[in-house]
Amino acid sequence: MNDQCMTVGRSVPRIDAVEKVTGNARFAPDLKMEGMLHARLLRSPHAHARVTGIDTSRAKTLPGVMAIATIEEVPKVINNWFFLRTEKKEKQMFLLDRVVRFVGDPVLAVAAESEDIAEEALSLIRVDYEVLPPIFDPFNAMKEKDIRIHEKGNIAFQVKKTYGDWEQGFRDADIVFENIYKTSKQKHAPIEPIGSCLADYGPNGNLLVYSSTQLPHWSKMYLARALNLSQNKVRLIKPYTGGAFGGRCGLIHGLELMCSWLSRETCRPVRMSFTRKEDFTATETRHPMTIAMKTGITRDGLLIANQVDLVANVGGYGTHYIGVIADCLSTGVGLYRCPNVNFNATAVFTNTSLTGAYRGYGNPQMNFAQESQMDMLAEAVGMDPVEFRLKNYRGLGEIDPVLNQEILSDGMKECLEKGVKSFGWKEKRTQGESLGPKKRGAGMAVMLHGTGAAGALPDPASAAVMINADGSVELLTAAADEGQGNRTVLAQIAAEVLGIEFEKISVSETDTGITPLDGGTHGSRQTYAGGLAVKKAAQEAREKLLRFAAKELDVADDDLEIREGLIYNRRDRNQSILLGDLMRRVQIGDMSVNEQVMGMSTGIAEAMPGYYGANFAEVEVDTETGEVRVLKLTGAFDVGRAINPSMVEGQITGGGVMGLGWALTEELMLSDGRILNNSFRDYRLLRAGDIPELDTIIVESHEPTGPYGAKGIGEGCLVCVASSIANAIYDAIGVRMKDLCITQEKILKGLEDQSQGS
Amino acid sequence: MSRIKITMDVNGRRHELAVEPWELLVDVLRDTLGLTGTKKGCGEGECGACTVNMDGRAVLSCLTLAVHADGKEIMTIEGLGKRTKLHPLQEAFVNEAAIQCGFCSPGMIMAAHALLKENPDPTEEVVRKKIANNLCRCTGYERPVKAILKAARMIKEGHHE
Repeated sequence: MNDQCMTVGRSVPRIDAVEKVTGNARFAPDLKMEGMLHARLLRSPHAHARVTGIDTSRAKTLPGVMAIATIEEVPKVINNWFFLRTEKKEKQMFLLDRVVRFVGDPVLAVAAESEDIAEEALSLIRVDYEVLPPIFDPFNAMKEKDIRIHEKGNIAFQVKKTYGDWEQGFRDADIVFENIYKTSKQKHAPIEPIGSCLADYGPNGNLLVYSSTQLPHWSKMYLARALNLSQNKVRLIKPYTGGAFGGRCGLIHGLELMCSWLSRETCRPVRMSFTRKEDFTATETRHPMTIAMKTGITRDGLLIANQVDLVANVGGYGTHYIGVIADCLSTGVGLYRCPNVNFNATAVFTNTSLTGAYRGYGNPQMNFAQESQMDMLAEAVGMDPVEFRLKNYRGLGEIDPVLNQEILSDGMKECLEKGVKSFGWKEKRTQGESLGPKKRGAGMAVMLHGTGAAGALPDPASAAVMINADGSVELLTAAADEGQGNRTVLAQIAAEVLGIEFEKISVSETDTGITPLDGGTHGSRQTYAGGLAVKKAAQEAREKLLRFAAKELDVADDDLEIREGLIYNRRDRNQSILLGDLMRRVQIGDMSVNEQVMGMSTGIAEAMPGYYGANFAEVEVDTETGEVRVLKLTGAFDVGRAINPSMVEGQITGGGVMGLGWALTEELMLSDGRILNNSFRDYRLLRAGDIPELDTIIVESHEPTGPYGAKGIGEGCLVCVASSIANAIYDAIGVRMKDLCITQEKILKGLEDQSQGS
Repeated sequence: MSRIKITMDVNGRRHELAVEPWELLVDVLRDTLGLTGTKKGCGEGECGACTVNMDGRAVLSCLTLAVHADGKEIMTIEGLGKRTKLHPLQEAFVNEAAIQCGFCSPGMIMAAHALLKENPDPTEEVVRKKIANNLCRCTGYERPVKAILKAARMIKEGHHE
């Protein structure tokens, strides 16, 4: 079946493309309801303070102010997700609290007839603070005993994992390198600002929430729990979403729960939309990390010992840090077949802005440290970096020691072979061209990332397929599409199974009132986990309709095939019926039947397959100015099977550019806990003119557990970009950049240290 | 201060409106006229999501006072083509997979529309330079640039405008 796919493997245009190019697609900030109020948050100007008094008397009398929610009014309910196993012990972030823990932490909310009135009301409110001593540095926070950011202290989470005998491993090593790496605080910065919600307690007493979330079902469950409602009283609809990248992976601090509470108080729909400045200041970021890594190899280039001491700066509050740290070990360190590992990690609260999930989920940070180490080690034993990776990576048939599962598909070799060729590795690497003060160099890095979270987190996926009387099909799935295109890919899978044209499938809105349980869009999982659910549901529907067709045509089920909506006997093509004719008869015509053919599926994927990838980068470094220009970036990624090749390419180019940004320009700069660059003017995303030649290679290793062999891509395409850039810079100028992002100043400092050292 | 009367042509229709002197074009389009295809990504003129055409030129509607649109012809994404009859730019964005989340797309398409009016046969370099005001976080710009170049060819080859 795989070889003769009609829709799978075709770059069909996305199902929502026309709505998006005509301006018809409505995103959360576009939604309106009759009688809708507008809410704004008052945010803390202090990094660490206790709220000692709030005077709202003047604001209350302002015409148009409908409700004010302070800690006196709202219950002390937790505002982050704890359903997922990893975070359930961490009850630290409340809807509102008496202590504020970062600049921008919400203190209260106002709901008013317009945004302008809400803003004016905020300016009339007086808040008294007792300023507490802040801590910004995670290493200080770890040591500090007297200043406690949270009641339990400043350590959010600590873990030690070892396997093998790492002490012996280092004794056996011929070469050991030990270095400290630092990574920056990167913002998701989707073009639709994070933080837009419309909540409405309807007259039926049910809560309806529109929110651009990656986790509709978990968010619904959480809202129900926080508001003490049964889950059938809460319905969450995810409208079109303007990008997420991990930034909408759970309820947003101060958003959905606050809108819901205000709507309940006022009996009016309430919308809140964060500004870009609020997005930069007070929504989650990538965890900045400091990683001390020690790696030992034998003389012939075999990796035998790894030691990691990692500190993650969680900020005032954190979500996902336990999962993020787990991924640093599982797919980060676990990329290589190293028998002896000592992994230590600490997540630390500081009075900086909050952190959470971000494309790559800890893996990019760990990859930067480890791939820099690998580059040094390869050089030390005189091996080509590609050959060194091939010798040491964990591949087909091996057991992943963290998840304890066998690797069933492995496209690493093909990624490297094709990448080397297409990039021109041998030529670019050996030339080391020098154009006066400008030096050119080439570097590479590889990565492994997990698809989904089966076995590690609750990871359900569900789908329902309903066939209409005209043979068209409705696919119900809660696989939230943030823009990557999973609704289209899932429709392709359903069309393939059912043997109908892609255009005949429509995909529901993501609506917890209609679409069954789903674990959310994270962990590169929807093509795989969502795809498996859709495939099963479509297969069930297919079996049912073939039974009807067999009866109608008087042939055995097994002899029937469906192509482009025509059901026919493989042995005698004259025996056939159009799907639409059959369904009309089944639904309406045959009074003894009258049913809709449906298929359903719910459950967990059987594995969490890893997907491999490699980046090759060519850079030109100006040794006089420190400027780094990337000339070419090749990305070769093993996606198992590309259900929609154009969309896979879109992930690789988009993730590549986001990775380039993290490598070179993107870092939130803080001074006394205040974010200095909270606009697109000062936080530099790459623009169309900044982009190097992007060279994209899709490798298909056919994952046996995946739908049509597919596995993930969404996050992995960012993971080793920065590592490849840092390695290319070393090739160009002989300076190791161990601190992201790589600014001109850091390059110049590195060159200065190099000339003083020599 | 009292409201100011303005007359503007939006997507071929005449609107007489009374606007506050500080009101921004983007808010009048989105809130008063219900044309939410024009997006607001930053409100500071840095992301380009609010780009519309004013008398054929690309303007950032979040930095344009509504009173400045008095007597002007405004075209938003809703006026470019219809679902049933897409403009070549829209068609190329659909077929070249130039869209992911779609939040930047209306602004980018309107920026490209103004560009192609001025320069029907731009090089890739010119396209990249002209859409440098439009941030996209999903695509890496590869596909949108291709789509704009394709639309230019389509228009030249006589596809409807």
